[in-house]
Amino acid sequence: MSILEVKNLRKSFGNTEVLKDINFTLEAGEVLSIIGSSGSGKTTLLRCLNFLETPDSGLILVQGKPLFNSEDTTAKSDAEIRRSRQHFGLVFQSFNLFPQYTALKNVTLASELQAKERPDYKTNKKYILEDIRKNGERLLTQVGLFDKRDNYPHQLSGGQQQRVAIARALSLSPDILCFDEPTSALDPELTGEVLKVIKGLADHNTTMVIVTHEMQFAREVSDKVLFMDSGYVVEYGTPEEVFDHPQHERTQQFLLRYSGNE
Amino acid sequence: MFETVLLSLSEGFVKSLEVFFLTLIGAIPLGLLISFGSMSKFKPLSFLVKVIVWIVRGSPLMLQLLIIYFGPGLIFGNNWWGSGSEGRFIAAMVAFIFNYACYFSEIFRGGIEGIPQGQYEAGEVLGMTKSQIFFKVILMQVVKRIVPPMGNEVITLIKDTSLVRVISVYELMWNGQSFIKSSGLIWPLFFTGVFYLAFNGIVTLLLGYAEKKLDYFKV
Repeated sequence: MSILEVKNLRKSFGNTEVLKDINFTLEAGEVLSIIGSSGSGKTTLLRCLNFLETPDSGLILVQGKPLFNSEDTTAKSDAEIRRSRQHFGLVFQSFNLFPQYTALKNVTLASELQAKERPDYKTNKKYILEDIRKNGERLLTQVGLFDKRDNYPHQLSGGQQQRVAIARALSLSPDILCFDEPTSALDPELTGEVLKVIKGLADHNTTMVIVTHEMQFAREVSDKVLFMDSGYVVEYGTPEEVFDHPQHERTQQFLLRYSGNE
Repeated sequence: MFETVLLSLSEGFVKSLEVFFLTLIGAIPLGLLISFGSMSKFKPLSFLVKVIVWIVRGSPLMLQLLIIYFGPGLIFGNNWWGSGSEGRFIAAMVAFIFNYACYFSEIFRGGIEGIPQGQYEAGEVLGMTKSQIFFKVILMQVVKRIVPPMGNEVITLIKDTSLVRVISVYELMWNGQSFIKSSGLIWPLFFTGVFYLAFNGIVTLLLGYAEKKLDYFKV
């Protein structure tokens, strides 16, 4: 069974249709890169998956279970939406770390808040919090920032902040980790460290959806590539198919422009 | 004579301090509530709140004191506030709290709206509830942003406490001025200035301390 299935997804803002009938599937452990020019709907698609936007119609299934179904008109409670969100993690273009917390606290905060809902929280508080802290430190080690655990976001470089943000997104063990142009806000010399962390996650079979403008990186890291143009999926296939043998003229033009830049 | 004056001014100062602290205690939570009202997505509510804030900020506090104190008795023939100094004090506090809550609400609104949307979204994708996002993520950043403008208002409030005398609440300046009539002395009135300056000095130091305390992060 596919870990993620998106069917007939549509989304409009006012009169502008941003997503027009999006369909794709993703298997567990796979990496999907979404490429395309600005305004093609990539970010909106990612935001729909994370329930930051509500699609107008369509179906989102995770492990066969519908998380979003426009046919189902019963209103979802906040708690249900929060539960659905847990399947996804999201790393933002602009990091969005919480400035008043240390790197470690940024990673552990959500887990700590969730732990409070556990029935055994009061009796096992010390043990539970200790566990969460250890997990946070493990994640910071994984992104190479254990020694920065007590630093506040403003004391970190952009690349370091984004790596903390990746650790934070992993803290609730999402099924699918999403990245919204994770290196676009970074100085060119800082993109490498972030891409390396993402590559490391891919090597450990983390299921990921990555919106990116880094074509070389997308080719290396992806199992599937999806090219979007003005709200449509124009091309969808393996990196070889999309990058080396694009079927559509739009894809060819887009890739040509990028290879010219590199 | 000096001791008599000092004693009288101290008594007045205590009354001024009561006005000051009770206003803060009442106006901060009320101001937060009003700011939520003015940011409400329910248009009639936000419109109504904005009109009220416009009226309160757009007219003199002294006028509001007079209307709130004398209004009920003269318009409805029924003085809600009760007679004597206690009634006058209650009326003064209602006027002050409401007036300052309106000013505070605009500062809070600015502080809350200034927090980037990404902070809310980061909390949302981590499965936090709306109240967790507000109290654990947003609030501290708002507090840091509003310390300087709140400092301005607090300092203004110290001096505004002298307005309660228009409805005969005997605060610091009233007591200072009374020596002109009773003994022909002007210096007690000048001396009240020392109290205001000293208290302002302390408050300024505290505000500076608060800003320094919040220096550990940047927004």
